[in-house]
Amino acid sequence: MTHTTILSWVTFIYFAAFIFYLFRTVFGKEFWGRLATITAWTGLAAQTVAMLWRWKISYDMGMGHIPLSNLYESMVFFAWAIVFLYLFLEWRAGNRVIGTFVIPFAFLAMAYASIAPGINDRIEPLIPALQSNWLTTHVVTCFLGYAGFTMAFGSGLMYFVRSLAVPGSNPANGWTARLPLPDSLDMLIYQGTVLGFIFLTMGIITGSVWAHYAWGSYWSWDPKETWSLITWIIYATMLHARFVRGWRGKPMAIMAVIGFACVLFTYLGVNYLPGLHSYLKA
Amino acid sequence: MSKKVNPVWSFLSSVKLTICLLVVIALLAVVGTFIPQQEGAAEFLSGLSPETANLLVRFQICDIYHSLVFYLLMSLLSLNLIVCSLNRFPVSRKKVNAPGLPVSDDLFIEKSPESILYADMAADAAVTRVEGILKEKFKTIQKDETNGKISFFTQKGRFSHLGVYVVHLSVLLLIAGAVIGSLFGFEAFVYIDEGQSVQEVTLKGKPVSKTLDFAVRCDKFTVAFYNNGAPKTYRSDLSFIRNDRIIRQGSVLVNHPLTFEGIRFYQSSYGPSPDKKAFLSYTGKGGQSREMALSERDVFELPESQASVTILRVEENIMEMGPAVKLNITTPDGDIQFWVFQHIEEIKNMNPGIINEVPMFNPGLFEPYVFFLHGVEQKFMTGLQVVRDPGVPVVAIGGLLMIAGLMMTFWMPHRRFWILIAPDGGKTAIQVAGKSSRNPEAFAREMNLIRNAIKESIAA
Repeated sequence: MTHTTILSWVTFIYFAAFIFYLFRTVFGKEFWGRLATITAWTGLAAQTVAMLWRWKISYDMGMGHIPLSNLYESMVFFAWAIVFLYLFLEWRAGNRVIGTFVIPFAFLAMAYASIAPGINDRIEPLIPALQSNWLTTHVVTCFLGYAGFTMAFGSGLMYFVRSLAVPGSNPANGWTARLPLPDSLDMLIYQGTVLGFIFLTMGIITGSVWAHYAWGSYWSWDPKETWSLITWIIYATMLHARFVRGWRGKPMAIMAVIGFACVLFTYLGVNYLPGLHSYLKA
Repeated sequence: MSKKVNPVWSFLSSVKLTICLLVVIALLAVVGTFIPQQEGAAEFLSGLSPETANLLVRFQICDIYHSLVFYLLMSLLSLNLIVCSLNRFPVSRKKVNAPGLPVSDDLFIEKSPESILYADMAADAAVTRVEGILKEKFKTIQKDETNGKISFFTQKGRFSHLGVYVVHLSVLLLIAGAVIGSLFGFEAFVYIDEGQSVQEVTLKGKPVSKTLDFAVRCDKFTVAFYNNGAPKTYRSDLSFIRNDRIIRQGSVLVNHPLTFEGIRFYQSSYGPSPDKKAFLSYTGKGGQSREMALSERDVFELPESQASVTILRVEENIMEMGPAVKLNITTPDGDIQFWVFQHIEEIKNMNPGIINEVPMFNPGLFEPYVFFLHGVEQKFMTGLQVVRDPGVPVVAIGGLLMIAGLMMTFWMPHRRFWILIAPDGGKTAIQVAGKSSRNPEAFAREMNLIRNAIKESIAA
């Protein structure tokens, strides 16, 4: 068994967890919810072991670096961050409502990491630009931010699905009517956004500090930098619209979707534009 | 604030303006990531029709982040940020300083009867116990007594309301830092050959050079590779020299710049130096010559034959046959050109007769001289980025304040608690109420903790 075998198992475990969360939502039985939670924790534990294992292997190979150095490793960490953040909030709030709409993204990230063309899952040594203590802080904060925005996006999607429910319909009949009330979904969108926003801010600032040491300038309008700023501006606008102009519900859900599209472009789309971060293509 | 509505003020203080500005700035930023900027623009523009290219240049689309429009938007955003903050600050200050006591009447009206705790003791005793609990949990407690009812008030995180101003200030500091950097700093680039020193650096984006008041010498450039061919280390060993004295020496690596007198040096690029040295000797009429270190275009004389030798090319590895130099010998009878390989003996062994077939490979083509190549030394040049940015400390403070401000705003909610104690028949009724600026779920948990603690203490 190797750590990559574990990671491919984790992909399926997350898929199973998603199915259980879905059953819980559709059938309204808390049994499925408990099963889903146990499955997700199992997946997270297995993934943590696999990532630590990969870390150790890199030391055995004489390169010794945290597994956060290329697209494959970041994608695996993205999945980890989504599940970690979700389970943390589930535990804190004692509420499984958004599992159905968040866990599938962890599954998708894992699946993308293993099947997307051109993704290299080999452990490779760090090129000089990546040999920095800021690598870990920068990547961890950025991906916790992305995970927060994923939660907001999942809640936003749920908001749209919920609005399909006929008002006043009996929760016993339609499963959409059993989804949380729009008000709680709005709250979940908001919480995910705030978490994402704070971590993205930290991610951009730690990235600037790193750029200051590596590239000679804390800000050089590299496409990834620029797109992270665009993402930041979108979520900043969203939070201002909420606090000052009282946006709730639908506009927040729409903003969560637009914001997440920007997150994805910042993460993946930018690699197709020329720039300093383009070594992530490997 | 004056009561008169100043149209300029109200325009600048509107959040609609903020949102519009943010959206326009974001859109311009998007444009900048799709249309090549600065150095990359020339090639892009040459592919367009002259009219389109002119238009793009006139509107500074190819240097959008340094365009007039962008600067105007940033100035307007700063102004908007200042005016909005000034406008709202009094409201926030009121919230920070809002007195908790006396208890407002509506606070306990909507409470359900079940939420009231009853203690089998006199009010005085209950007050002592409640006070004990609160003192454990909070730093300061206010107490009030009206109409025989005793009320406590305590709060935390009231400065949360100021977090947003800290964030706004941080944005202004970031912009100010960038302005300071662009006014009083510079960004330049320089290539230095190993062994050479320079004093002039080329400013970025301008065909102008800047003279430093000291010289930088590249003593050695090192590049190391991993087994898979990926680069492992780029390192330049530099000396900083003034008045022919070495003032400081140090190494610059990627991620490890060197600062000298406020100017930072970054490892940015490297390349083979055109200055390759060939170590050459010959035997001839005068016997064995000494070994000479020669570069391309160097010339030396063979006085005995009235000939001169020019080094045409110095190659580290030509045609997979190792190091070689190409010589041109000018004699009274005309020019002769041939190659001198370092490993000529091995080449002859591998390809018997090659010297006769290819006279150009014969190091003894100009008789009676025979030339020997002892080695070729490839030198490097290092590409250094040279930066002075006095705005960095301001930007750094801005970054720290931004994180602090966001944490204040979102993770330090203003929570206020009131406890009302009143005699009720033979018992004492205790009610707990609270308000939180954010995160109602976590607040409900904290309220419960307080209620339960009081419940336990009055039951004991």
